[in-house]
Amino acid sequence: MASLRDIRKHIDSVKSIKQITYAMKMVAAARIKRAQSSILASRPFAAEMDRLIADLYCELGEDDIAGTQAKELFAARHKGGAVCLVLVTADKGLCGSFNTNLLKAATAWIKGHRNRKIYVVAVGRKGRDFIKRLKGLDLEMAFELVGIFPKAGYAHAQLLADNIFKIYQTLPVESVTLLYNEFKSMMAQRIVTDQVLPLTAHISGCGVKGRTRADFAFEPGKAELLGALLPRHVGAQLYRMLLESQAAELAARMSAMESASKNASELIDGLTLKMNKTRQAMITTELNEIVSGSEALGG
Amino acid sequence: MDEKPVILLTVVTPEKTVLSEHPVDFVVLPAFGGELGVLPGHAPEVVQLKEGFLRYSSGKEKEVFSALSGFAEIYDNRVLVLAEAAELAKEIDEERAKQAWRKAKDAIALQGDQIDIDEAQASLKRAAVRLKLAEYRKKHK
Repeated sequence: MASLRDIRKHIDSVKSIKQITYAMKMVAAARIKRAQSSILASRPFAAEMDRLIADLYCELGEDDIAGTQAKELFAARHKGGAVCLVLVTADKGLCGSFNTNLLKAATAWIKGHRNRKIYVVAVGRKGRDFIKRLKGLDLEMAFELVGIFPKAGYAHAQLLADNIFKIYQTLPVESVTLLYNEFKSMMAQRIVTDQVLPLTAHISGCGVKGRTRADFAFEPGKAELLGALLPRHVGAQLYRMLLESQAAELAARMSAMESASKNASELIDGLTLKMNKTRQAMITTELNEIVSGSEALGG
Repeated sequence: MDEKPVILLTVVTPEKTVLSEHPVDFVVLPAFGGELGVLPGHAPEVVQLKEGFLRYSSGKEKEVFSALSGFAEIYDNRVLVLAEAAELAKEIDEERAKQAWRKAKDAIALQGDQIDIDEAQASLKRAAVRLKLAEYRKKHK
């Protein structure tokens, strides 16, 4: 049976762990507010950008964009080539199943494309380390971006977008797929697989609000404008994704740390009870010894 | 409806909405081929912006922004600016901009990782615009 001192020591160590987990929970809770408000703040830009691109795209005839850089981003590439995966994980652990689930999904995705060459763009330390551990696959790390959370900014998204474009233009990549956690609620994250390139699905219907566009002037030309807009559009999309992932990570960490603190409290309660029982038992034994001793002497 | 026509100016960046439908009399945009002045009744136009100053005046109120590359759409007395970053001249700290400029220069001179260089070049550009704006503000006080 554990002695009183051992139990006390155990209680102390659990208490200090609880302090740490509680502090981490509070930090995540404070940061998540900021993360959520930056998601909200990024929405008007993305919405206006989408509208502008949709309008501009409809304005253009097929011949206008043929042969330009913009056309290349829209055109589907022939099937069967290499593929590119952008994996967005956290930099740090201690956030429940946030990374585990994501890496499981990544494994499944990689298995699904087993016979092809896969270029990986890793955002976040956990994902990068995971990809580096994988052996016996035709994988290549094309770009990595670590240490950006929890202060991901638009500059990071732009950097990521530039590198993705570089990969898309220089390597024979069929498509670029994103894999990240979306912030669904404080309690739940959702894993999202999303194709960024070639662009197709993003361009929504034309002619919103029934504007007559014929008299619009463009500076510089339409095709150049679209060519300059599209990378920005992808940048804005990646920015949203980074923010989503960041908020999801903080939410996951918050709930993980909350349950850890709760478990520590329960453990402390159990141990305290055990300690008191042991103490009682010791007192009873001592009393017993004293009484029986005096009886033996007094006769 | 005898009111003087105004332009509704909206400036959004990925990180925040700087102005939302702010009524102004006159806007100058840092367009790609040179500055572009917009008065009420301007023809519809879509322009690409480069880094520079974005000025507007509304009555006696005059403001200057630093804007980094982006786009602007002029339609029906509305000006929508999508910039990568925009800052009010008042909010710019000249000393900080100078420091950032120097730091970025050093980083480029040191030839670190590619990521560092890219980041430094971007921040160098930002700092240069801020410095120019600070100077401009001093002159036009």
